Amino acid sequence: MTATIPLDRAKRTAPDRPRHVRRQEWAGYLFLSPALLLFLVFVAGPVVAAFVLAFYQWDLLTPARFNGLGNFSKMFHDPLLYKALGNTFIFTAASMVTHLVGGLLLALGVNRLKNRFLSYFVRTSLFFPFVISWAAVALLWKYVLDPTFGPGTYYLHKLGITPPNWFVDPSWALPAIIGIDFWHTIGFTFVIMLAGLQTVPKQLVEAARTDGAGEWQILWRITLPMMSPTIFFAAVVTFIGAFQIFDPIQIITPQGGPDNSTVSIVMYLYQQGFESFQVGYASAVSLLILVVTMFVTLLQFWGSRRWVYQA
Amino acid sequence: MKSADQVPALSRRGMLRMMGVAAAAIPAASTLAACGSSDDSGTSGGGKGAATLSLAYLGDASQQAAFTALFAAFNKSHPEIKIKANGIAAGDWATFASTISTQLAGGKKYDIVDVATEGQLLMSSKGVLAPLDEYIAKDKAVVDAYYAGIDPHLHDWTRKYGSPDGKTYFIPGGYNSMALYCNTEVFAKAGVTLPASDWTWDEFKAAGQQIKAKTGAYLISTGDGSFPFGDIMPWLLTNGTSTLDADWKNPTLGSPAAVEAATFVKSLIDAGLAPKIGGTFDAANQFSKGKLATLGGGRWPTLDIRRLNLVAKTTILDWPTKAGTKGSPIGWDGWPILRASKNKDAAWTFIKWLMTKEASEFYAQVGGTNIPALKSVATSQAFLGNAPKGSELLPAAIGFGTPIPSPKQGAATQKVISAGWKNALTGVKPVAEALSSASEQLRPLL
Repeated sequence: MTATIPLDRAKRTAPDRPRHVRRQEWAGYLFLSPALLLFLVFVAGPVVAAFVLAFYQWDLLTPARFNGLGNFSKMFHDPLLYKALGNTFIFTAASMVTHLVGGLLLALGVNRLKNRFLSYFVRTSLFFPFVISWAAVALLWKYVLDPTFGPGTYYLHKLGITPPNWFVDPSWALPAIIGIDFWHTIGFTFVIMLAGLQTVPKQLVEAARTDGAGEWQILWRITLPMMSPTIFFAAVVTFIGAFQIFDPIQIITPQGGPDNSTVSIVMYLYQQGFESFQVGYASAVSLLILVVTMFVTLLQFWGSRRWVYQA
Repeated sequence: MKSADQVPALSRRGMLRMMGVAAAAIPAASTLAACGSSDDSGTSGGGKGAATLSLAYLGDASQQAAFTALFAAFNKSHPEIKIKANGIAAGDWATFASTISTQLAGGKKYDIVDVATEGQLLMSSKGVLAPLDEYIAKDKAVVDAYYAGIDPHLHDWTRKYGSPDGKTYFIPGGYNSMALYCNTEVFAKAGVTLPASDWTWDEFKAAGQQIKAKTGAYLISTGDGSFPFGDIMPWLLTNGTSTLDADWKNPTLGSPAAVEAATFVKSLIDAGLAPKIGGTFDAANQFSKGKLATLGGGRWPTLDIRRLNLVAKTTILDWPTKAGTKGSPIGWDGWPILRASKNKDAAWTFIKWLMTKEASEFYAQVGGTNIPALKSVATSQAFLGNAPKGSELLPAAIGFGTPIPSPKQGAATQKVISAGWKNALTGVKPVAEALSSASEQLRPLL
């Protein structure tokens, strides 16, 4: 004989959780709701709006008109979009290389400092620029590199070097911004790398040393593999941040630099949306940014299987 | 075919609401963006009683004080009408127009927006302004008296560039021109006599060379082109050309006269008479320290000159010319009422008050940054008192001035013009190539 549970009883069983559990669930939802609300209003909502607007022509003030795939096909024939994408990829690649290598080297160096006071001082000094707003950093460097009065220009002249007019020369404007970005944000990567270094098991290092491994071998065989999840995290975060670069470029070279040499893709989006009033096209560009960011990030995750050590 | 006015409309706010709730609703809502209200008759909307006007204007911290005093003075005359003003500290008028457009699209309600030339065509052609013709007809005596008292150019230009469909959307307010503020101490120290009236580019440059040699001061800060009104237009207009033609339909930035003007400005930088572009040269500060001989500007530098106690040491002169053709850009305020306003009567009361001599004099005295539209005020002590010698040249420049070209895509146009000029001055491209390339980029924007 087969025992069966009456249907109405089965229905009753699932929700019949203890009262304190249900109360906890409600409390959870309650705590979650502010963040969820903010997410819906400031993230999900704009994403949906951008997706819809990408199929329209809208100049902010007159009625929007359905444009089908017009905005997307326009992207294929827009040389400035390619220029902006190219600039952004150059900036991102340079940013990733300099931040990952620089951050790692700095972390390794500081981690070896024996003097605790010196170690804290260097850590603080390296991280300090990161807490300054981009606006202040941009103006500061614009002053330092002023071609006439800048202290940077003055001292380079003292060293017998004639510096270029950094933000006016098309060959130097983007490298100058890459340099400023490095100065401003390297502290963040450095801190991540330093934290990653603390996760390397000391017994492994000691064992390797006992087995006669040199410092170089320890770095390659122990430290870097053990730090690979941290490096991977830093790579993903740096890519996403660098690909959205906007503030320093807008402040230092507000028109996109000489010959559009510093126009980034996000700046181009801004120009299209709020200077040319092509909100539909700007929305299409925003979707392109989303797709590129997602694709490269997924590529990073796919590639990580080959080199990231999973404990 | 139905016009935008006739289409059953959802408000812009409604459009945003729909986008937020259901993206699919956009097609149905998309005929409405500009239509805050289907009521665009001039005299309807809002009673004559108490009202709070929402008003936007361009103003940084220094300008906000004068505007606040102006609104307080109005409130004294009309205690029933309060003004809730929003000073937008945009860097230029094109950016201001973009900011306002974005705010309106986002559902922000204004009753009045102080729109300069750079935004007048944009706003009047997008259906966001209410026609003022019925109000003007109702208060014909007041408006006629005002128009009789201002330079006729202001009225004509407002009609030409701010009324794309023949209706009146703006009452012209104060304006600005460009002239040179000269630090007389620097000139005296260098042994250079200021010209009594006109001077040529060559004379100007020769004076600069002497000043540089004797005092080390720069002759002028040319700017990098990001402020076309002051950085570019005076040089073009004093050589008989402009960035666009008179109808703002065709670019003239690549013309030989424009190339000649840019070449001359570049020669000032190359000769060390102007600081290199790409830095953070603070012109007003350097002028006060005697390290800069001249400062280009309209009425607005007078505020700095007063603050720095330089009124007695400064003389205003017309911009030097290539060969005697005087020129100055002119930009003016326009006072419109927004179509979506629920306080149109109160808004008109405020605009009508702005047309009075009392308001004009008051604004000039409290530190207004423009030239009063009423000639009687612009030539009175309210404007000329506590101001550098030669201040009367500022209002006089409207006689030979040219409206600052301001097509609908003002911000995008300005960006192209600025970039082209900057490329020319910095040598990124040869001058002629830089300007003709910019000229070509302008065509699709006009």
